[in-house]
Amino acid sequence: MTHLRSRITLIAFVIPIFLLLALSQLASSTVYVHWSDPQLPAASSLGVTNIVFTWKEGISPAAVAARKQGYSVYVETPLLQAKAAADEGVKAGWTGVILDIAELESVESEQRVAELRSSYPKLQFVLLTRGGKPPDMRGSIIVKRNSVLEVSSPTAQPWIDTNLALIKVEQRSRRAQVPLYTFSWEDQGQVRTLSPDDYSLAVAEAGAFHADLILQLDENLQQALNNHDAKAWALWNQVQSMLKFSGSKADALEPAANVAVVVDHLDASDEVLNLLSRHNIPFQVFLAADLNKEKFQGFDVLVMFAKPDKELGEQIKDLATRGKTVVVVDAHGSYPWQNSQPVRENEHTTSYAVGNGKILELSERVTDPEIFAQDVRRLIGKRNSLLSLWNGLTTIAVPYKDHSGTLRLVEFVNYALEPVRMQVQVKGSFQSVRYESPERPCCESLAAVKHDGFTEFVIPELRIAGRIHLEP
Amino acid sequence: MRFDRRWAAGLSVLILCLGAKSQNSENQRLVYKKKYIMGTVFEIAAYGESSERVSSAIDVAFQEIVRMDDLMSNYKPESALSQLNRSAHFHAERVPADLYRVIERGVQLSRLSDGKFDITVAPLVNLWKAALAGDSTPSPEQQRQAQACVGYDKIELTPPDQIALQSSCLQLDLGALGKGYAVDRAAEKLHTLGIENAFLNAGGSTIVAIGSPPGQAGWLVRLRDPSHKIDPYVMLENASVSTSEQTTRSLLGHDSPGHIIDPSSGRPVESQFSVSVIAANGSMSDGFSTTLLLLGPQQGKALVNRTRDVSAIWLSPNAQVETATNGPQILFGGRL
Repeated sequence: MTHLRSRITLIAFVIPIFLLLALSQLASSTVYVHWSDPQLPAASSLGVTNIVFTWKEGISPAAVAARKQGYSVYVETPLLQAKAAADEGVKAGWTGVILDIAELESVESEQRVAELRSSYPKLQFVLLTRGGKPPDMRGSIIVKRNSVLEVSSPTAQPWIDTNLALIKVEQRSRRAQVPLYTFSWEDQGQVRTLSPDDYSLAVAEAGAFHADLILQLDENLQQALNNHDAKAWALWNQVQSMLKFSGSKADALEPAANVAVVVDHLDASDEVLNLLSRHNIPFQVFLAADLNKEKFQGFDVLVMFAKPDKELGEQIKDLATRGKTVVVVDAHGSYPWQNSQPVRENEHTTSYAVGNGKILELSERVTDPEIFAQDVRRLIGKRNSLLSLWNGLTTIAVPYKDHSGTLRLVEFVNYALEPVRMQVQVKGSFQSVRYESPERPCCESLAAVKHDGFTEFVIPELRIAGRIHLEP
Repeated sequence: MRFDRRWAAGLSVLILCLGAKSQNSENQRLVYKKKYIMGTVFEIAAYGESSERVSSAIDVAFQEIVRMDDLMSNYKPESALSQLNRSAHFHAERVPADLYRVIERGVQLSRLSDGKFDITVAPLVNLWKAALAGDSTPSPEQQRQAQACVGYDKIELTPPDQIALQSSCLQLDLGALGKGYAVDRAAEKLHTLGIENAFLNAGGSTIVAIGSPPGQAGWLVRLRDPSHKIDPYVMLENASVSTSEQTTRSLLGHDSPGHIIDPSSGRPVESQFSVSVIAANGSMSDGFSTTLLLLGPQQGKALVNRTRDVSAIWLSPNAQVETATNGPQILFGGRL
């Protein structure tokens, strides 16, 4: 823990210069297109301004052409080669260097990035995570070559592959910049035949999560676009409407959350985080070093995966005393709240009433993240629920708040890729509820019903992406 | 806190068709599609010589499932079932033929199980649905009132298509039959369109196999095993498998009721068993899996033994196994 804290302190020393800059970008989402073909269409035709090339020794002709065709050119490179790329970038007038850094929260990496930024002030240096996955609504059948693997169960809710958990982790890991991620379309060794909806869903996710994405374009599609293939352009024109929708944001907003997840180390592949995302539980990820009562004032539930030491234990007790519900996972040992009367909830869980709140000790790791996510939703309770959806089993919704803490925006992504009519309830009383989507330009006023501190409305049709604007 | 993914694999009935190789299989193209319907993902994988033709046939099959949803959904107020539940009290209403057929099967199953399975369980399901979503547990009085509204013997069926509900609060729930019936209809569509080898999956709980993979005797279907020790499987050909299991209990000790309600007690059934049923078609296996979960192994075996072409297995997390075989063989140790 001490080591971790010292690393965090160092990171905290490096990042503040960029933090203010980043805060003004919180609502932005940029899609970069990764290009590998030697030729490329004009930026105005492709409808994107940011194009990314993989750095290879020397300047690629395509990168030179891209600059002339109106693109902002970025090169993607490992940190070790960043200096060479930056030298070339300055000469060639590139916009920036995208740094492919595998390890999260590496202090050494952060320091080197800071040095690069200082040495090349005209170039942007952006950190990339490759931990993304192709967004998808999965079934249970896996098709491989000429064979079929089928997995079934008692009736299962649609399994959604979403990048929201990754974004949540990145928002904590790299607070100095908007998260930038990418993924390969290759799925378990199989290359998918990509449809416009596949690309659109990827763009919609990044837009809804207010993150930046490097979109990997299939090489055949790149060639077909260069060859003026009508089908390829028809496909890309569909994607462009999503690019326009996802890129059109104005207000600086922050993700709203009432569940804090506190971990010892950041792991974007964690299934619990994935399932919390999947169940539309608004959460924010913290490291144990972040824990203090001021920071956690706005949260109703804290889930502690971090092992509490004495100091953390006192802080947890203090938070519970102030009315929070705290779940301590895999809890073993003596803690300051244990002098309260324990209540055995079941074979795994003991609860303690502490002040106005309570602490639940789960004596083991989370064995079923699906059930755990449902448990957390129940712990939040209906009174504190920021967001509830009906007919939203294939939808991820992300609420955003302004600086006063008022919900102002909810972004929706529907992974079923087919129109759904969805009932939504948000916490707060709103005079105006307006809806927009790529198919329904801004904005359509929706009839809203206010009751008991909540506002309910129906989204008439959500196909892939949609956005609700809320006015108090 | 990294999660061990074994739990996910453990939820499974598994079908594996490895390397379908035979003299006939070389010109067989496999097409796979999925669609979100009835609150879950329906999937169809089908073989045929022309990918385009197979793909079109799958689209037709999906449309049939959508049509079934429009008839049988109790979430859609305009569905034929919702209309029936609203307006058929004390007088006969004419209903679409498919709805009549599935309700008729539901009544048959209710009779077969002496009401342990009851197609009119909707008032109890609705009562407990709120508790499942986080509301407080229904009071005994609420349970009693809802239970009084349940009774399949108050359904009056007049062939070919008329139904009357002889109680003011009687309501039908097709949750245990609808998906199975819809997959059967979709399979019929595929068959009509010349598809001879396909399987259809309704959200994991019901799988219908048409024919077998080219060059193979059947689809190897691995059955759900909550203990991860028994590893049962079946070879499925022109048959169906369904799995039912009560909702898993809370980790944090909330009073979390399950979604399968026992009409005789008025409460969610308490069972740790996972039940898989193999039968001739989806509506049969779907309805039977819920019924056999409610009945438990002892009474359930008796029902299976007097029903043709049905096999069943009950498996518990502590590896208790009970089987009843009056149809396809259930095999063990099928680790692949």
